[in-house]
Amino acid sequence: MVALEACIFVTVIIGFLGLIYKPNLFMKIIAMDVMGTGVIAYYCLMAARTGFLTPIVTDKESTIPYADPVPQAVILTAIVIGLSIQALMLVATMKLARENPTLEVKAIEKQYWP
Amino acid sequence: MTLFAVSAEFNAAPWATVVICLALMAGFTGYLLPATIHFLTLAVCLSTGFLAYLAFSLPEAQFWYLLDSFGVAFQLDALSGYFLLTNALVTLAVLVYCWNTGRSAFFYAQLIILHTSLNSAFLCADFMSLYVALEVVAIAAFCLMTYPREPRIIWLGLRYLLLSNTAMLFYLIGVALVYSNSQSFAFSGLTQAPPEATALIFLGLLTKGGIFLAGLWLPQTHGEAATPMSALMSGVVVKAGILGLLRCGLLSDQLLLLVQGLGVATALFGVAYAMLAKDTKRMLAFHTVSQMGFVLAAPVAGGFYALTHGLVKSSLFLLAGNLPSRDFKILQKTPIAAGFWVPLLLASSSIAGFPLLAGFEAKTLTLKGLPPWLAIALNIAAVGTAISFSKFVFLKPTFVGKTYPLGLGIALAVLLGGLAVGNVVYWQAFTASNLLKATLTCGVGAGLYWGVVKRLTLKLPDGGEQVDHLIGMMSISLTILFAWILV
Repeated sequence: MVALEACIFVTVIIGFLGLIYKPNLFMKIIAMDVMGTGVIAYYCLMAARTGFLTPIVTDKESTIPYADPVPQAVILTAIVIGLSIQALMLVATMKLARENPTLEVKAIEKQYWP
Repeated sequence: MTLFAVSAEFNAAPWATVVICLALMAGFTGYLLPATIHFLTLAVCLSTGFLAYLAFSLPEAQFWYLLDSFGVAFQLDALSGYFLLTNALVTLAVLVYCWNTGRSAFFYAQLIILHTSLNSAFLCADFMSLYVALEVVAIAAFCLMTYPREPRIIWLGLRYLLLSNTAMLFYLIGVALVYSNSQSFAFSGLTQAPPEATALIFLGLLTKGGIFLAGLWLPQTHGEAATPMSALMSGVVVKAGILGLLRCGLLSDQLLLLVQGLGVATALFGVAYAMLAKDTKRMLAFHTVSQMGFVLAAPVAGGFYALTHGLVKSSLFLLAGNLPSRDFKILQKTPIAAGFWVPLLLASSSIAGFPLLAGFEAKTLTLKGLPPWLAIALNIAAVGTAISFSKFVFLKPTFVGKTYPLGLGIALAVLLGGLAVGNVVYWQAFTASNLLKATLTCGVGAGLYWGVVKRLTLKLPDGGEQVDHLIGMMSISLTILFAWILV
C-alpha cells in the first residue's frame, strides 16, 4: 500500500515538473493530465483501503471487506470535469497553433504581452 | 431586517434547490429558444435576489443535506446572503449593459450557467461540491471570456484554465486527506485533518481567489478581458474561492490567523502595484487583489465588504471600458464628460472609504475589533487605496462631449443605487471619530498622490506574471503554507 501511494505521488510530481519544465504548450497540457491521473489514482487507492470487494447488495452474506464507494463515486465527477477542461484547452491550443505553429509558451507570451 | 423576518420553521432547502435547478434549465432552454434568453437571464438574476432575501431574513443559519451525510451539503446564512446578493446585482448590471449589443444566445446561456454555478459555490458546505462548482465556474468563465475569439483573448483564457485546473488538482489531494480522516467532505473536517490537507486546500482556493503569490494570474486576465467580462470576473467570479477561504477561516483560531495573515500580505502587495499602475484596467485588477485581502482580514465582516467591492469594481470596470483611453497620462490631458466623471467619483470615494456610500461602513466594520498589528497594516492599505483612486478623482470633468449609452446608465444606476441603499446595513458607523478618520484617510491619500505618487515614474517588475513563473510560484506558496502551518 505504501509503495503504491509513493508511486502515485511520484506521478503527481512528475506531472507538476513537466508543467514547469516543458517549453511547449501542448506538452504542458499533457503534463497537467499526467498530474490529474495521479490524483484520480490516489482516490481509487484511498477507496481500496478498507477492502477490494465491489459494494453491491446481494442475497449472500459476504465476509470479505468491501471498498469504500464514496471516493470512487465523487472522483467520477472529477474525471469528467478534467476531461472537459482538457478538451476545451486543446481546442484553444488548435486555434492558437494557426498563428504560433511552434506553440512555444515563451514566444506566445511575448507576442500577447500587454 | 426584523420587519420581514421569516418564521423559524420555514424550510429554505426546497427553494434553494429549485432556484438552482430551474436556473440551469433556463440556461439550456434559452440557448434553444434564443428569443427568450434576455428575459430568462433577468428572471434568473431576480430569483437569486430572492434567495439572498431568504438568507437575510432567516433567523438562523440553515444546513441541509441533499442525499445523505456523504452527499451534497448546503448552508444558507447571512454570509452567503451577501455573496448571493453581489452575484445577483453584478450579473444584472452586466446583462443590462450587454442587452442591446447583439451578442448571441450562447453568450447569455453561458452567463446564466456562470451565475448559477457561482450560486452553488456560495451555497455549498462541503469540499467536493465546492470543487465541482469552482470548476464549472472556470469553464463557463473561459467560454464567456473567449467569446470575441481573438487569439490574444484565447491565450488569456487558456492561461487562466491551465493555472486554475492545476491548483484544483492540489486541492483535490487535500480533500482526499480530509475525507480519509473524517469520512466526510464537510468543511468542519478540516480541523481534524493533517496539516498537509490545509496547505493543499488553501493553495487551490488561494489561486482561485487571486490571493498573494499564487494568484498573480489575476491582473492580466481581469485587465485584458472584454469590458463586461472584466466587470463580472472582478465583481463576483474571484469571490467564489474567497468564500471557501472565509468558511475555513471561521473554523478555528489557527486557521483564522492563517487567513488573516494571507489577507494582510495580499492587501499591502496589491495596493503597492495598484498605486504605481499606469493603465486604468490594470490598476483596477491589482486593486481587486488588494481588496480580496481586506475581505480575508476580517472574515466576520467579509460578506458586506465583498458586496460593496463587487458593486464598486464592476461599475468602475464598465466605466473604464468606455473612457477614451486606458492610459492615465492621456486621460489626465483630455477632459472627461461629466456623465462619466460623476459616477467615477462616487465609486472611487466609496471604495476609498469616504462617508455616505456603503464602502465607508464596510471599512469601518472590517477594522472594528481587529488586533493592532492587523488594524495598522490595513489602515496603511486603506491610505494606498485612497492614493490609487485619486487618479480617477482628479481627472478634469467637462460638460460637453460624449453622451451615455443607455445600457451603461441603467447598469450604473443598479450598482450605485445598491451602494447608496447599503448605507442602512451598519448605520451605527456614523460617529464623529469614524467620520473624522475616514476623511483623514482620504485626505492623506489625496495629498500623497499630489505630492509624491503623481511624480513617480517607478515601474514595478511584471516578470512574475509569466506562465512558467506563475506555476513555479504555486510550489513556492505551497512551501510557505507548509512552513506556516508546521511552525
